[in-house]
Amino acid sequence: MEPEFLLIGVMTAGVTLYALMGGADFGAGVWEFNTALRAGEKERALIYRAIGPVWEANHVWLIFVLVALFSGFPPAFAALCRALWVPLLFALVGIVFRGVGFAFRSYAADSVRAKTLWGTVFALASTAAPFFLGASVGAIASGRLKVSSDGGYFGDHLTGWINPVSIFCAFFGVGICAYLAAAYMTREARNEGDAALTEVWRRRALVTGLWMGLLSAAGLAIIASSAPELWEGFKTRAWPAVVTSFVAGSFSIVALWRRRFTGAALGAAVTVGAVVIGWGLAQYPALIPPEITVHGARAPREVLWTFLGVIAAGSLVLVPSLVLLLVLFKGKRPEDA
Amino acid sequence: MEPLLAARLQMALTLGFHIIFACFGVGLPVLLLVAEGRYLRTRDEGWRTIARRWSKSFGVLFAVGAVSGTVLSFELGLLWPDFMGTFGSVIGLPFTMEAFAFFLEAIFVGIYIYTWDRLPPRAHWLSGFPIAVAGIASAAFVVTANAWMNCPQGFLQVAGKVVYAEPLRAMLNPASGPQVTHMVFAAGLVAGFGVASVYAAGVLRGKDSPHRRRALALGLAMGAICAPLQVLSGDWAARVVARTQPVKFAAMEGQFRTEARAPLRIGGLPDSEAETTRFALEIPGGLSWLACGDPGAVVNGLDRVPRADRPPVAIVHLAFQAMVGAGVALLALSGWVGGTLVFRKRLPRGRAFLWCVALAGPLAAVALEAGWVVTEVGRQPWIVQGIMRTRDAVTDAPGVGWVFLVALAIYSALTGATIIALRHLARK
Ligand code: HDD
Ligand code: HEM
Ligand code: HEM
Repeated sequence: MEPEFLLIGVMTAGVTLYALMGGADFGAGVWEFNTALRAGEKERALIYRAIGPVWEANHVWLIFVLVALFSGFPPAFAALCRALWVPLLFALVGIVFRGVGFAFRSYAADSVRAKTLWGTVFALASTAAPFFLGASVGAIASGRLKVSSDGGYFGDHLTGWINPVSIFCAFFGVGICAYLAAAYMTREARNEGDAALTEVWRRRALVTGLWMGLLSAAGLAIIASSAPELWEGFKTRAWPAVVTSFVAGSFSIVALWRRRFTGAALGAAVTVGAVVIGWGLAQYPALIPPEITVHGARAPREVLWTFLGVIAAGSLVLVPSLVLLLVLFKGKRPEDA
Repeated sequence: MEPLLAARLQMALTLGFHIIFACFGVGLPVLLLVAEGRYLRTRDEGWRTIARRWSKSFGVLFAVGAVSGTVLSFELGLLWPDFMGTFGSVIGLPFTMEAFAFFLEAIFVGIYIYTWDRLPPRAHWLSGFPIAVAGIASAAFVVTANAWMNCPQGFLQVAGKVVYAEPLRAMLNPASGPQVTHMVFAAGLVAGFGVASVYAAGVLRGKDSPHRRRALALGLAMGAICAPLQVLSGDWAARVVARTQPVKFAAMEGQFRTEARAPLRIGGLPDSEAETTRFALEIPGGLSWLACGDPGAVVNGLDRVPRADRPPVAIVHLAFQAMVGAGVALLALSGWVGGTLVFRKRLPRGRAFLWCVALAGPLAAVALEAGWVVTEVGRQPWIVQGIMRTRDAVTDAPGVGWVFLVALAIYSALTGATIIALRHLARK
């Protein structure tokens, strides 16, 4: 087996996990944004309790993917940093303020004013970060970034990333986060035994789920019309992922309807996971289509094997720790905040 | 603003900011473990209160450290795309290892902070160990990447492209040992004296209590233990720099001419135009002895390389003097504490001592920043010593100057907000 193939597989898994876990944390903030004027303190408290212990760990997936990218495929990293100069800078601002907004709000704000201030920062930034990360992903997927195989970029630094697919993915990214958060939060509210909140979140999850279904169909149409290569990939290789996503999405809506909230949360995760994996499959072996491919951009093979060895060894520590975290905080609710 | 200058300033700003939080990320978990461990041993609730309070401040510091670190990871590529595009595969290994350390740290920080009332006391204490280990490990890993920039090895380039690499050999370069050691003790100094400073300042303002004294003593202990070790490791670092990076060494010492019996200069102002260092207190043969162990040895000066290959000498020399000066001062404080402990079986008392402790925290932070200035500015004009110039690595994207100004505003706001948040936690 070629090491670059294994590494890109690991990275796809990393992106997927980031979307599923980090995305839901962003989504919680998106909801806080949406409900800023109406949400009660109890509703907010649930949001903060749900993501408090886990968001830092979920965030590391992004760093992991980034590091794997520059270690394993250095020219691809250089090209992305040049081509996505603007959206990545904006995403970083979002990431910074999401993190500090959350931390200040949960550990160090007692007064209503401080809470409102940091809560607002958290909410705005939680929306901006997936928006610009989504736009970055869309810009890559569109195949319209004018990159060269050695990591160069000869497009416009300020506007080269803007096209129909990237704009669509920006909104889609925010939507995915909101959908995941609503689906997970319904289950959290149920586990807290709060029937009223459960109903609120259930309704939100249902509505967002249906909207996301429509949006996905529109997305496929946009891809078909403006990213022909990617569309080709979806038709020939990635269609099973699209089918999976559709089935799982429908399942999660039905489960929400019938108040099977764990099933709904899992269904939502599979729906989104299939989208991410489908994107990867559709553009493989291109890393940044059309010029930069997994094979062309890879580091020397012996280096890749070393990285894979380290990743395997690291996983031996990582996996049990992650399981412990999830068991502690996603099994039953902690009383302690 | 010239893009190269803006990018360098941006790097200096964001790294200089991150490193302070990183030091607390390395040092504070150790203090938490000691405090909670004392609680388990003595069942004295006071220790538990200390640990529990600190864990909240740690939550804030960790979050700011994590987001500022994320900025850095992106920035390496955003500002220096050719550097990462060329050498990402060579220095990726420590960063990959670091990512796993971050996972471990972040997971157990979540567990530690949120389970004070859920886990049995001993289990809770144990959940702090991975944080401390991962904190030290992440610092060690990332510093080897920096050490590689100073002492690059373990790769083969053909026509600018890396065709073969041994990431492990790159990681274990000659500068890694001293830099990692020096950095870890620096974190102990900054976190230890930093904590002690806060409490000393409180006591000076009349907020005295056994609880504060105890917290002060704990921070002070860590700082005082690290201070002598830090001076020793600094000496090791200097010897390695003299051997592997003679130009940086000459700049540190303000040594323009290659000469035998080179003097050790204390203070002084290097003048790059006149190629001489003025107003320094000179100890004849001192530098030759320090660098080579022989007062008659020849020490290479800056004249060994053309002017274009020299770093800004004055900055490097002054930063080095500041670090060493601070190191000696902290050593003296550590000696005062140690001496009083041994001969009087208690800590020193009195306002003068409290003032010294209150100043020790900021002083350690100054030494830390100065040390990094020595390392980074002293390597100029190279981003990878002798192999790639900083000028050739910088991005060609527009608006780097604006990005720097915005970053400056954001980081200033963050600094202010962090201080307010920590003060708020301290008052509770
Ligand atoms: C609390 C902080 C602190 C203190 C008291 C000292 N240092 Fe330091 N020094 C650092 C913190 C630091 C650092 C963590 O900032 C650096 C930057 C890069 C590194 O590895 O450690 C550093 C770098 C650094 C270097 C350059 C290494 C390189 O470029 O590869 C030398 C030669 C020394 N130090 C030497 C000393 C000596 C002789 C000291 C004492 C008398 C001393 N340091 C005290
Ligand atoms: C492991 C950690 C570090 C890495 C990988 C690293 C990497 C870099 C890189 C790539 C640059 C830009 C190129 C250059 O100027 O050579 C740089 C510059 C710089 N860094 Fe670091 N750095 C690290 C730690 C630090 C820390 C903790 C500080 C704290 C103050 C620091 C201070 C600076 C300064 C002042 C510059 C500008 C130097 C100049 O251009 O004159 N660095 N660093
Ligand atoms: C000498 C330099 C450095 C040291 C000692 C250091 C150490 C640390 C430590 C201990 C943390 C844990 C967070 C905390 O406690 O605040 C941390 C976070 C982080 N650092 Fe650094 N760091 C250094 C430089 C860098 C550089 C150059 C980069 C990137 C290129 C970087 C990237 C990160 C990232 C991404 C995180 C966040 C991890 C998370 O999400 O938990 N660091 N660093």
